[in-house]
Formats: sequence, C-alpha cells, structure tokens
Amino acid sequence: MKSSRRIAIAGVTALAVAGALAGCTSGSGSEDGTLELRVATFPPGADQAAYDAFTEQEAQFEEANPDIDIVGVEYEWTAPTFAAQLAGGSLPDVFTVPFTDSKTLLENGQLADVTDEVEELGYADKFNPIILEEVTDADGRVFGFPRQAYANGLHYNRALFEQAGLDPDSPPTTWDEVREAAKQISEATGKAGYATMATGNTGGWQLSVQADSRGASLQTANGDGTYTSTIDDDATRATLQFLHDLRWEDDSMGATFDLDWGTINQEFAAGNVGMYTSGSDVYTALVRDFGMAPDDYGLTVIPTEDGGGVLGGGDIAVMPPNLDDATTAAAVKWIDWYYMQKLLDEDAAVADAKALSDAGQAVGTPVLPVLDQATYEESLTWIEPYVNVPLDQMAGFTEGIFEQTPIGEFKGQTQPIYALMDNLVQAVLTDENADIDALLAQVDADAQALLDQ
Amino acid sequence: MTMTRDPEVADAAADRPPRPPSDVPAHRKRRRTPMTWLRGGGLSNLAFVAPMLVVFAVFSWGPIVQAVVMSFQKTNLVSPPVFVGIDNFVRVLSDPNLGTAVVNTLYFALLALLFGFPLPLLLAVMMSEVRRGKGLYSALAYLPVVIPPVVAVLLWKVFYNASPDGVFNTILGWVGIPPQPWLQSSATVMPSLVLEATWAAAGGAIIIYLAALIAVPPELYDAAEVDGAGIWRKIWHVTLPQLRGVLFIMLILQVIATSQVFLEPFLFTGGGPNNATLTILLLIYRYAFQNSLGGAYGEATALSLMLAIFLALLSWAYFKLTERWSTN
Amino acid sequence: MTGAPDQPLLDRPHGAAPRPRLLGLARRGRAASTDEQGDRGVLSTADRRRGSVRASMTFVHGFLFVGLVVAGLGPLLWLAKAAVTPTQDTLSQPFALWPNGVDWANLESAWNDIHIDQYFLNTIWVAAGSWFFQLLIATTAGYALSVLRPKYAPILNALVLATLFIPAVVLLVPLYLTILNPPVIGTSLLNTYWAVWLPAAANAFNILLVKRFFDGLPREVFEAAKTDGAGPFRVFWSIVLPMSKPILGVVSVFAVIAAWKDFLWPLLVLPDPAVQPLSVRLPAVQSQTELDVFLAALAISTLIPVVLFLLFQRLFLRGAGLGGAVKG
Repeated sequence: MKSSRRIAIAGVTALAVAGALAGCTSGSGSEDGTLELRVATFPPGADQAAYDAFTEQEAQFEEANPDIDIVGVEYEWTAPTFAAQLAGGSLPDVFTVPFTDSKTLLENGQLADVTDEVEELGYADKFNPIILEEVTDADGRVFGFPRQAYANGLHYNRALFEQAGLDPDSPPTTWDEVREAAKQISEATGKAGYATMATGNTGGWQLSVQADSRGASLQTANGDGTYTSTIDDDATRATLQFLHDLRWEDDSMGATFDLDWGTINQEFAAGNVGMYTSGSDVYTALVRDFGMAPDDYGLTVIPTEDGGGVLGGGDIAVMPPNLDDATTAAAVKWIDWYYMQKLLDEDAAVADAKALSDAGQAVGTPVLPVLDQATYEESLTWIEPYVNVPLDQMAGFTEGIFEQTPIGEFKGQTQPIYALMDNLVQAVLTDENADIDALLAQVDADAQALLDQ
Repeated sequence: MTMTRDPEVADAAADRPPRPPSDVPAHRKRRRTPMTWLRGGGLSNLAFVAPMLVVFAVFSWGPIVQAVVMSFQKTNLVSPPVFVGIDNFVRVLSDPNLGTAVVNTLYFALLALLFGFPLPLLLAVMMSEVRRGKGLYSALAYLPVVIPPVVAVLLWKVFYNASPDGVFNTILGWVGIPPQPWLQSSATVMPSLVLEATWAAAGGAIIIYLAALIAVPPELYDAAEVDGAGIWRKIWHVTLPQLRGVLFIMLILQVIATSQVFLEPFLFTGGGPNNATLTILLLIYRYAFQNSLGGAYGEATALSLMLAIFLALLSWAYFKLTERWSTN
Repeated sequence: MTGAPDQPLLDRPHGAAPRPRLLGLARRGRAASTDEQGDRGVLSTADRRRGSVRASMTFVHGFLFVGLVVAGLGPLLWLAKAAVTPTQDTLSQPFALWPNGVDWANLESAWNDIHIDQYFLNTIWVAAGSWFFQLLIATTAGYALSVLRPKYAPILNALVLATLFIPAVVLLVPLYLTILNPPVIGTSLLNTYWAVWLPAAANAFNILLVKRFFDGLPREVFEAAKTDGAGPFRVFWSIVLPMSKPILGVVSVFAVIAAWKDFLWPLLVLPDPAVQPLSVRLPAVQSQTELDVFLAALAISTLIPVVLFLLFQRLFLRGAGLGGAVKG
C-alpha cells in the first residue's frame, strides 16, 4: 500500500514535471473517456489507516460512477500556501475551506455557485440555517456545502484531576472554578493546570473563544460590507487579565507559551496540561496521533458568563468557479457522496462509521450538526454500534452544548486579526508587566486599520 | 587575446605538421556581415551564452526589474496591477511593526557580532597552533555546519524546552543556575536565537580563518622574533594584520547575512513572543505570504528594496572606510 | 583525440602561463585540514620548548577537545540517544540513558509514518537538479565569457557581476510571482522542481568562480586544439572540462550544500507535500508528530549528511576554506 502510494506520488511529480516541460496544462479528460476528478483528501502526514479508508471509498465511488476517475490529492488548508494554490490554479476540483475564509472567497468570485445543485439534491432546507448562512451571499446564492462543524469545548485531563484531588466527573463550570482547578493541578502535580494556544493565529482564535464566552463581541458588521473592530472590550480585557493572573500570580500555566493547535494537543496528550480550550473534535488527534490514554480524556462545555456564547467553526466543501459543466456535475456527485450522504442516509452513515472504525479511526466524536438537530440525532442512533470514543467522559459537553448560544467567528479579516491578537496572548504570558489596556487599544486600532483597507 | 608562447607547448605542437591559423587576427579591416559573424563562431558563441542568458533573464534580471516596478504597484494576483506611486513605501514606513522589526534585526546583528565574530577567530588561532589533532578539531568544529539548518533549529527548539527538565535547564541545574525561559520570554528569546545561530555558523568561519592563517608567510614571524616579539605581540602585530582582509570581508558578509535573518525567528518563534523576534525578513514574509487570501506584494517588495538599498550603501561605505584603513 | 595531450601539460611546469590562482589556493586549503606539519605558525620551535607555553598548549588542547566535542558532537549524540527513547523519558530526564528501555520503534515510525524515505528522495532530487543546472550554466557561461569572448562578453560579464551586489531578499516576491506565472510557457511552475532548479542556476558567484578558473588555464592548449580543427564544443568538452575538475568539484560542493540547506524558497514554491524536501517537510509535521518519533526523524535526516561529511571530509573542508579564500 505504501509503495503504491509512493509510486502515485512519483507519478504525480513526473506528470507535473512533464507538464511543465511540454508547457501545457493538464486537461481533465483522460484517454479512456473517463473524467478525472481531483479531490482533496486529508492533510499530508495522515496515517496509513486514513489512506486505506480513502482508497476503499474511492473504489466504491468509482464502481457506482464508472465514468469518473477519482484522484485523491493531499490537501491542507494553510494560510501561506492557499493563496498561492488559488492564484496558481493548482487547487483540486473539490476542496474545503474554513468558514473564516468562505465569505471573502465567495465575495471575490473565487468559488463556484452551487445554489441550483443544492436545490436539485433536495437537502437545501435541511441545513442548519446558522451554518448555511456562512456560505450564502447577500443575494441568497449558495457557494458551498457545509460539511462539518464544531464548537469549542474545555478539554481536561481526568488523571491530573484525580491526582489533584478534583472530581473528574464534575469539571469546572465557571472561569473562577477553572482558575481554582488549574492552581490545584499545578500545585499537586507540577504540570500546567491550564494552557492556551498563542502562535500561528491560534492564539487570537482561542482568545476570541474565551472572550466570547465572557460576552465579548469582537467585531460589528455594519451591514454595508464594512466592519468595526470592537476588540477593546471589557470581556477581552477580563480574559487577558485571567490569563495574566494564572501565569504570574498562580504560576499554573507551565513554562511553554508558544503552543499552537498541534503542539498544545501534544502537550495535553503527554499529560503535561490539565485543561485547555479547543475544537470539540480533537479527540482523534489526541488519542490516535499522540497516544493519549482514552481513559484520561474529559470534555465539557466552556463556561459561559455574562451572556456569552460558544464560538464554533467548521468548513465547507467547495469548487473553483472555472470548472466545465461535466466536471462540476462530477464534483457535486462526489461532494454529495463523500461528505453529505453519511449525514443524511442511514446506509451511508453506517458504511462510513464501519469503515472508520475498521480503520481504527474515532467514531462518535461530538460535533455541531451541519444539518438540523432532528436529522443529527437520528444519525447518531444509526452509528451507535460503531461508536468507539468514551462518550460518558464527554457528557459535560454533549449535554451542555445545545443550551449554549452558538457564535460564528467574526468575518472581517479574520485570520490577519487573529494574528494581531496572538500578540495579546503572548504579551500577557511572557511579560509580567504587560499593559493590557494599552495593548488592547493598539490591537483594536491595528485591526480597524486592516478592516478599513 | 594574449598569445604567450610557451616553449613546451611549441614542443608539443612540433610533432604535427604546421597548419595555417584558421583565425586571422583582426588587424585587417573587414566588413561585419551575418556571414562573417557566423564564420567567426557567432552561432556557437550564442549557443554557449544562451542557457545563461535565458536563466538570468527570467530568474534574475527580470525579477530585479520587476521588484522595482512592483514596489510602485498594487498587485494581488487577481486583478491587473495598478500604479500607486509611493503608497507602498508610505504604508510600510508608517507600519508600527517596521520599527520593531528594524530594532530586532539590529539587536540580532549586534548580538551575533558580539558572540559570533570573535569566537571562531579565537578557536581558529588556537587550532592553527596545535600540532596534533588539527584534522579532528576541524572536523568536530565543522560538524554543526553539516547538520541541515532546519534540523538544527528544530533540535535546539527541544533543547530550549523551558521546563526545569528541559535539556539546557538540566545542564544549568547541574551548576546551580535556575531554569531559564529561553524562547518563552521577550528578554531571553533573542540571545537564544543568536546562540543557536552562532553554534550553527562558527564552524564555517573557523575553516575559513584556518585557511587564511596557513597563508600567513612564516618569514613574518621569524622577522618579528628577530625583533624580540613575544607570543602576544606576534599575534597582534603579525597574525591579525595578515588576516585583516579576510576579517573585513567576513564582517561585512556577516552583517549582510544577519540583516536578512529569517530561518531562526521563523522556525523558533514565528516572530514572537509579542513580536520580540519579528525581523525585517519575517515582516516581508508576512506581508507577502501570510494572508491566505492574497499577499500585500507591493508592500513586501517596497520593504525589500529599502533593505537592499540600505545594505548596498552600507557595503559601499564600509569598503570605502576599510580601503582607507588598509592603506594606512 | 587530435588535440594536444592535456593532462601531461598541466603537470608540467609552464613558465609563462599563469598558474590558476584557485588551484594554488586549493592546495593551501588542503594543508589546513590535515595534520601535516606544514609551515610554522605564531609559536616558534623555541617557544614550544618553554615550560609555560607547553602548559598553555596542554590547556589549549584540553579546551579545544572538550569544547569541540561538547559543542560539535554533543548535540548529535544526544539526538541519537533521544531518537530511540520514549517521549516521557526525554521530557522528564533528558540525560538519563534509557531509564525505561530503548524504543527502537521510533525509527520505524519515523521512516514509515513521516515517510522520511519519500522526502529524502525529494531532497536528493532537488539537490541533484540544482547541481546539474548550476554546473551547466556556470561552465557554459564561464567558457563563453572566458574563452570564446564574443564582442558582447564584457556587457554580459558586468550584468552577471551586478547581480552579486543585489541581496537575495529583493528577488523573493518577484521571483515567486515569476514562478506562478512564468513567461512564454504559460503554466505555473509551482510544485515542480524547475521552480527550485532554475533560479538556483542563476548564480553569479558560480560563474565568477568558473570564469576566473578558466582565465587561468593555458591558452596555448586551446589554440593548439583549434589548429587541429577542434570546434568550440570539442574544446569545451574534451579540453576545458577535463582540466577543470578542481573547480567543478568546488562548485558541486557549494551547489549540493546550498540545495540541501535551502528552506524559504522551497517552502514557497513547493507547497504540495508530495514534492517537498526534508527541510520543508520536517517543520510542517512537527506539530502532528509525537516528540520521540519526531526526534527519530531528525536523527535520520542528520545521519545522511553527517556520514557524507565524514566520508568526504577533505572535499568539504577544502571547499569551505576555498569559499573564504575566494571571498577574500
């Protein structure tokens, strides 16, 4: 299997080189009349099980659609490469983008309009309206298929809770309790009781998660396509003060303050972090990639205070706008089959769950439904026999999440502003005398300058 | 073309019957036509020049000219470029991050000069004096240079683990020094980067100095001894002056290299914490490549041009100065 | 072959023909890297007999040995140890030797899950292509500018030299846009190795090196060959290239090392993981890989260049010393 993949990669490389040599773009038709569809698969470096599962699914799809030849392309949405791939035309025919970029892309005309296709498939009215809004433009046209969504949650290490004399079955429900628990964990175990991401835009992302839970609103849409930055907000200030106090007064955040999504998962899985906030879907990464013992994992909702809500996100399956009709039709078929049917159809859902569980992947990790809640809850009963995650250790989340107000990420210049907000988090964690008010005012002004461009 | 006739070459040629030279020297006046061009080897000349011409035109001269043009344009890859005058320069100069980046870059360059410049020289002088083990020492000193720089940085990132059980903190613990935050504090982050950079680069400089030390004419030392010079005076009055040329060059090359430092801040910290390691090149990278929805290519080229012009002026002034010192 | 026998010619002393300067330097550079008792340094034989000097030299030996072993070899040994140590042990007791046993599986996981083999092949591919194109351009251009010397040679020479004074940073963005949208061929070079090879070939330093070497070759040989009816291609292939092995070796070492070390450029133009070299891939997988496996991956990526270095030590060190000599 590995060697065949290597050959495939070598083949792709050779093709690319040959294409460059001949100075021609690769057409989408192949010799035997089948249509070649290049689809995004998963981030590079995924383990063998993921490749095996995909090969299996690819074969099934091609059997049902013999005129389409699926070519899986390793794909990962990362800021620097996405723009280049977009500009260079090297994106696959089907790929995914996070909600945060979808608005800008569709406003720039860089995504295919799929309104008619969504209508035709007949599940337009089944989407969770909050989520469908992410891919709809001002005229009500739809530019993609929301395919997965998550809400942020508070992940905690049950083993560290026990060592610190805390009850792992009643995790903290307010930020003050979080602080208290963090202090106890770090005093009892010497590990970081609480940690937060701080680099590569994830610091800004999690700062907005934590500020939103305290009732912040970081940006106001003015309704005319312009936005006003409102980062300089009491809830943001409270969040930064909270992090500062945990770091400098309680010393309960360990010694590493340059974590990002991947490294905080590593630290947590290695048992060095008591609690952190992140998307509800990291269980797979923790257990499969970093060998965390499933028994140690706990997930609950993020404390919400003062009218705060829980920030969520997700991504959508989209196509570039310049595909020909045949490719568009094939791409829609693939999206429907690969991403959507397992949410809608019992047989597809069961087949998917079975394939995942056979491949040793997690089944049943809590997510936010992209379809309406009734369909979602029904789908959970279909796959019940295959669920292989400790759902009872995630009860705090699954029971609490529908009580919380879902909030989407702010839309204007999301990632650049997250980058600015990284500095806020880094400042309070690495400088005891950081002037939070001055920093907030500065970042607010810089964010507004970005929005005014 | 000089035509020095070597007697031995004449010998070698003597075995063969002499032939009239095919290429008559150009003292006879001739009209240049395509035919004479062709017969004079114009086509084969072109064949040898062509690869270089194409590669340089497309990947060197072209982009250099484009850099100047782009710095006055707004380019986003989607819509055609628009001429915007000096807007890019104004935007860059009014960016609060520019000041931070310039100060950080100067700080890095200064620390690198303090740590990284004298140390290899000292080691090279020591190594050139030992009689045995020179080969072993050169190899050991050069080992860090062989490690791919990316691997070195990623490895040192592990060394810099700020917990008391980190690699460096454990070593400090052996001698009773409390754990340091290394990359996790604005105060210690830059010296940490410079420490790694010095470690990674010292071997190369040592080998260059060793080569230069070997080239010092031994007669100069003999003469100095006749004048009664001791060891330190020999170093001061013979060794260092003899190395002056290579030292001057190494200094300016180091300044040029450190003012374009990218790898260490990019991989160690991404510019953090709180922009404490944001360097000029990292800022250029951020302008151009960080935003997923299209870069500010105009600003990025404007800043690179300003840096390039500054470095060119600096080198020019430096060579003027050192020229004067060298002749004194 | 009808031309003059080139090999014996080089070995014979040829009075009037200037001895290639670089050849001489290479010879001297080699002395630096061996234990041969060559020319004297600062210390005279008399100095070395003095007790205080002998004591100091013992100290210097000890200092060099301990210092260089710790700094040069230490990190590599630690990496080798950590590569087969479970994550928890590395984190909590970085200097303990396998308190909980050796974890050989790390190496296997690094090889199979990170696909080191694939990225290693990519690295070799990047380096091999860069080497080939750099040699191709440097030798053809050097030959044209030094030996053929068409009328326009001085202009070309000046244009090539001028690029030496432009810092690489200026090229970053425009070159990147050139790769995205190259002239004539009309398709993006992104994710193809051409995007790395061709810009690397536009290297003025190589051309300068090779041209200076060619300038020093005895011209009589070319003339004699020409007299024998050898065309410019024949002279290039059968006479100039075989005589230029030393400089080709040096340019090769520079080219391969530079390609091996390059990070920012391949990061930008090879976003597709399937074609990335190790230097780009390793930082990208770091956050998705457990520490022990990641360290094993670093160790494997280090092993190969270190082994190459130990095998070809002399070539490396001569190249490095020569680099300095040329700069100076």
